[in-house]
Amino acid sequence: MKIMSNNSEKSFSDFGIYDLDDQIEFILPNTLIKFTRISDNAFSYYRENSEGIVIEKIIPVKSDTTKIELAPIRPLNYPARRTNHIFLQFDKEIYLSENSAASIFVNCPIEIGVFLVHDSNHDSLDWVTCDPLNSRFGLYGSPDTGTLCKYAKVSMATDYNDSEPYVEAVMQIVVENTLSFGQSISKVVFPITDNNLYYQNSKAIVDGLKITMKKRAAVNIADVQTTSLETDWSTSPTWEDKTASTHMEMGLE
Amino acid sequence: MILEFLQSLSEMQIVGELTVLSLLIGGVIMAGGVIIAKIAKLLFHKYYAPSLPKDTAQNISKLIYFGILIISFLGFTSSQGIDLSGIMVAGGIFAVVIGFATQSVVSNLISGLFLIVEKPAKHGDTIELPDMGISGTLLDIGTFSSKVRRFDGTVTRIPNEKFFTSNIRSLTLSTVRRADATVGISYQSDIDHAILAMKNEIFQTMPFILQIPEPEFRTEELGDSSVNIHVYVWHPRDDWSNAQPILLNTLKRALDKSGIEIPFPQRVIWSGKD
Repeated sequence: MKIMSNNSEKSFSDFGIYDLDDQIEFILPNTLIKFTRISDNAFSYYRENSEGIVIEKIIPVKSDTTKIELAPIRPLNYPARRTNHIFLQFDKEIYLSENSAASIFVNCPIEIGVFLVHDSNHDSLDWVTCDPLNSRFGLYGSPDTGTLCKYAKVSMATDYNDSEPYVEAVMQIVVENTLSFGQSISKVVFPITDNNLYYQNSKAIVDGLKITMKKRAAVNIADVQTTSLETDWSTSPTWEDKTASTHMEMGLE
Repeated sequence: MILEFLQSLSEMQIVGELTVLSLLIGGVIMAGGVIIAKIAKLLFHKYYAPSLPKDTAQNISKLIYFGILIISFLGFTSSQGIDLSGIMVAGGIFAVVIGFATQSVVSNLISGLFLIVEKPAKHGDTIELPDMGISGTLLDIGTFSSKVRRFDGTVTRIPNEKFFTSNIRSLTLSTVRRADATVGISYQSDIDHAILAMKNEIFQTMPFILQIPEPEFRTEELGDSSVNIHVYVWHPRDDWSNAQPILLNTLKRALDKSGIEIPFPQRVIWSGKD
């Protein structure tokens, strides 16, 4: 089965928690996800993206109360997990005159996590990206000491609802310039693992940032802090890559 | 019966006050020490080593193993009533003699210690030793030698002295690495158009190539048959195999798609009458 790349005519599945029925199908931009019961205690998981790449898994389940959660997650997994940092390059520079502050909304890329929910536990089953072409790496700093980041060129948003569903979340950034001269900001680099994501229907938002430009001794720095959101949107579970830390024991020496 | 047997062993003197029984007890202490050391090393590898950096785990493992062996040896000597102070006095002279006799061994040992302290490369790093023509993954820095697993799967043992005095090129120390390739386009082709086509193809089909710093295109040479363009791209250090081996394929595909000719070597011959 080939997924249609023309997404405009399709109605996609919302984020949320779903009962694991005999057969359940999720349609996302460029991606199809299917769960099918194959026995009393097992389901098959099938995922296909627009490039024709298919992932299949068998999922044994202990109880009938197992559910599926589809939720936005941090954009760190495609094409491979290499860093916890994200590099957001603004499409327009922000100029702040001395001793001033501004609040902006930007569109931050996301990926989508598929979780198994049972007894209030969330097991990370799979993740997908609906925009693989814009999921790339970038380097902040020099090749020997710099920080490898997931890189994205981002546009400004007007409010928390102004984002492309399944592809972006809206993030609020408060910038304060305490320096004695004007300063422009064109990018922000930070570890996104401190930021939670929240969803409602097909929209997502992410914890904000507070950037304070200040003088530390003889150096001008931009201090970046995460600010937690207070919202009634559902909080996304955290995607955990368990394959990276699993040690396979082949018996005793 | 057993007590009588042990009694008879304690009466069998070998040298001075050293009896067969005390030697047997010493042997049991040493054997017990070796077994305990191996079990401790095994348990450490099983329960703790997977969560530690590989070189740290290797060093702690050796510390545990040899630490227990040394303690066992001290137990052995005290059970035999051996006075170590005599050995200490003779140690200086002994060390000089041994030093002359085993220069290379001692040199390897000292180099191994310096390698552990200086850490020019650590366990699991991909390294290249240009002087020896060796490249691969560093498996272990041992007491006297180091082991490198080459890319063909074979393991090369290098004496620590040679390893320490060699030029070591670390391929994993930097966050990112650069891959490069050269392609030639015909003189009739538009260079800017070719560069744009290659850049787009790289961004679309090579997800491990960094967008910052951007791929760099340098017109390297106006060659005999083609305009040669050298392409430099950066990638995360662990993803060499997702960059260098497929870069040329990607560049050729881009040029093919855009109808840009990659010329064969050609020579224009003018006859005398012309």
